[in-house]
Amino acid sequence: MPSILNNKISSSLILSFMALMRHRLNPQRRPVWLIHVLTLILILASSRLAVGFEAVISNERSGDLVFLDESGNSLDIIKLCNRPRGMVQDRPKKLLYIACSDDNKVLEFNLQTKKIIREFLGIPGAMAVTLNTKSRRLFITNEGASKATVLDIDTGNLLSTLQTGFEPDGVIVSDDGSRIFVASENAGLIHVFDGNTYSAIQSIITSLRPRRMAIRNTELWISSEMGSRVEIFDLNTLLKIDEIIFAPKGFRSEQMTPVDILFDSTKKLSFVALGAANHVAIIDAETRSIEKYILVGRRAWGLGITPDDARLFVLNGLSDDATIIDLKTRRPIKTARTGLAPHSVEVFDR
Amino acid sequence: MIKNILFITSIFFSSASIAGALEVTIISAEAEERMNQGQSFAGITVEPDRPVLRAVELALFESKTLLQRLGFHDALNTLDIKPDRDLREQLLAISPSSLVILDIPLKTMLKVAPILNELKLVSFNVRHSEPTLRNSLCMDYLFHAIPSDHMYFDALSQFLIYRGWRKVLVVRGPSKKDDARAETLIVSLKKFGASIVDNRQFSLSHHPDDRDKNNPEFLTGGASYDVVAVIDSEKDYGRYLQYSTRKARPVVGDVGLTPKSWHFALERYGAPQLNERYRHFKKGDPLSSQVSMTDKEFAAWSAVKLVTNSLSANKKIGTNFDLLNLLKNPQSQVDLYKGTRGSVRLWNHQIRQPILLATPDTVVAVAPMPKFLHPKHYVDTLGLDEPESSCQLSKK
Repeated sequence: MPSILNNKISSSLILSFMALMRHRLNPQRRPVWLIHVLTLILILASSRLAVGFEAVISNERSGDLVFLDESGNSLDIIKLCNRPRGMVQDRPKKLLYIACSDDNKVLEFNLQTKKIIREFLGIPGAMAVTLNTKSRRLFITNEGASKATVLDIDTGNLLSTLQTGFEPDGVIVSDDGSRIFVASENAGLIHVFDGNTYSAIQSIITSLRPRRMAIRNTELWISSEMGSRVEIFDLNTLLKIDEIIFAPKGFRSEQMTPVDILFDSTKKLSFVALGAANHVAIIDAETRSIEKYILVGRRAWGLGITPDDARLFVLNGLSDDATIIDLKTRRPIKTARTGLAPHSVEVFDR
Repeated sequence: MIKNILFITSIFFSSASIAGALEVTIISAEAEERMNQGQSFAGITVEPDRPVLRAVELALFESKTLLQRLGFHDALNTLDIKPDRDLREQLLAISPSSLVILDIPLKTMLKVAPILNELKLVSFNVRHSEPTLRNSLCMDYLFHAIPSDHMYFDALSQFLIYRGWRKVLVVRGPSKKDDARAETLIVSLKKFGASIVDNRQFSLSHHPDDRDKNNPEFLTGGASYDVVAVIDSEKDYGRYLQYSTRKARPVVGDVGLTPKSWHFALERYGAPQLNERYRHFKKGDPLSSQVSMTDKEFAAWSAVKLVTNSLSANKKIGTNFDLLNLLKNPQSQVDLYKGTRGSVRLWNHQIRQPILLATPDTVVAVAPMPKFLHPKHYVDTLGLDEPESSCQLSKK
């Protein structure tokens, strides 16, 4: 059981015992001990309820995975590889794919047994990963090599290598698998590839340093870290529809360095981690208006959400912690310690 | 003689579209450099001084994918001028649409820049940080990619104030350049609220009569200070001061903790990737692991990147674009791998950018320091702000 709960339970036990003693010495007093006993029961009950989701965090610098429960209590730390960064889940199979950048490999990890199942070797500078569960294809960007790798996830066979500009980061595939999008940070381009033939179709010119992407219906949302904005493109025409500029109070536009973008399960809300601005933005995805900025830790990059849309995990790469936000009240409820330089987070059913 | 050393034709060059060109010309003055190349004492080179060619090549190499996408091809020329011959005649060899990188000594740049301005050639100063240039060479077609001394020293001063080291002992060299730079440093220190305990001059002579000026202990004695700030443009003396001051205090300025625009040990903002590329992009000519762009090379790299990055920011610009219009557009910007994008200060054509505070082996901080705020632009607490500048190109 997490130590914080142990502390609460033991203090509650002591309090109720002391109150019970006082009550025995002076039976005329109100039975305070009863209240403490009730508190104890409540705490135990809530600890049962908390068994729902679990977050797994890759830590670049400490080379491990940190597991937290949805309240931010530390559950486990597993030493993994050199510089684990991007991760993606195969939810139905309870599997996790992890890019180990400095080992030039991708790991297949069982989230139930917490064991490595397979290793895909010879994938240079593996950075971001994405999975199309229908086509069973895994897409990996290769940071130093200016390319992206396509693997058949069942056989582990290399299917294709896609040429990109320098410093490829985010990679995403349309739901039907027909289009692959890879961001080149240096070129300021999103390379678009055919999902079946893997041939280059076109490239989208973005603002400075495109990083991550997210798809919402027919929209492609792209964060531009040095351009300080999120640009929205039409998935079919590949033309720009709109852009979102960030302005939390007390900051200048150029201090906004957005990286991760995430939608909730209904795709009504969008979340953007604003990097050096130490905030996360909550956006109405329909109207594209910013509803709230929430102060988090230093250099907010990675984002994860519980499948019930109740809590948001924000990874703070420079303060080595994760801010957990209650999405009902839209307030941070806990800052939990992670490993060193947390990069990505995935949330799964326990 | 103008030399074409690189010519890449876009593979996207289709017969239907007329491809535009991004042409870059680097002006050097090798004869003058050789004349002025003094052997450093005992053959010790404290600071490398390379031509900016490799950095420009890197910038074009990096921009290839984007330029292809935009339907551009690029070309790189070098022009080695003879400063004692007719300059105008030599400069006429440059193609009228070329971007010009001025890799020449100050004396020659003062003559070359006005001619280039008349010829309407957009040129970049990548070597000279003298603040006076930003005023005396206040010209439409001239840009400054290297930070000014105001920017460097404002960054250093912010750092000292941030650390609470407010009492500063200034130690400077005997040259005119040292005098001027010490003056700029003092302006910066005072601007951010530091106090100057004393302003002393060192001497390179070892003569006992000069010991109050040449012996580090005497030179830094008899005063109460938090930090010693050294101005030593020639890097002759300052390095002897570290660990030799009368009081156990840090040494900053031209030695010790130094304001720089680029560093091999910058760990964040994608900088390791850029440094790695700089070392290895030329097959057959790799550089060793601690080598990175000097501030001059970084300035040349950022000048070219400013143009290519701005091309994608201003998508309406066709292939027959006008360089000056492109750079004067408020949308123009450059990803400098320093955490905040760079752009042009329209009043004096200085590229605004964060400044690193670094020792020879580590980057200690990136200025602006926390809590130094500017009403308009995050990095404009560094250097001359619009109201302070006597160069007002945007109002012309």
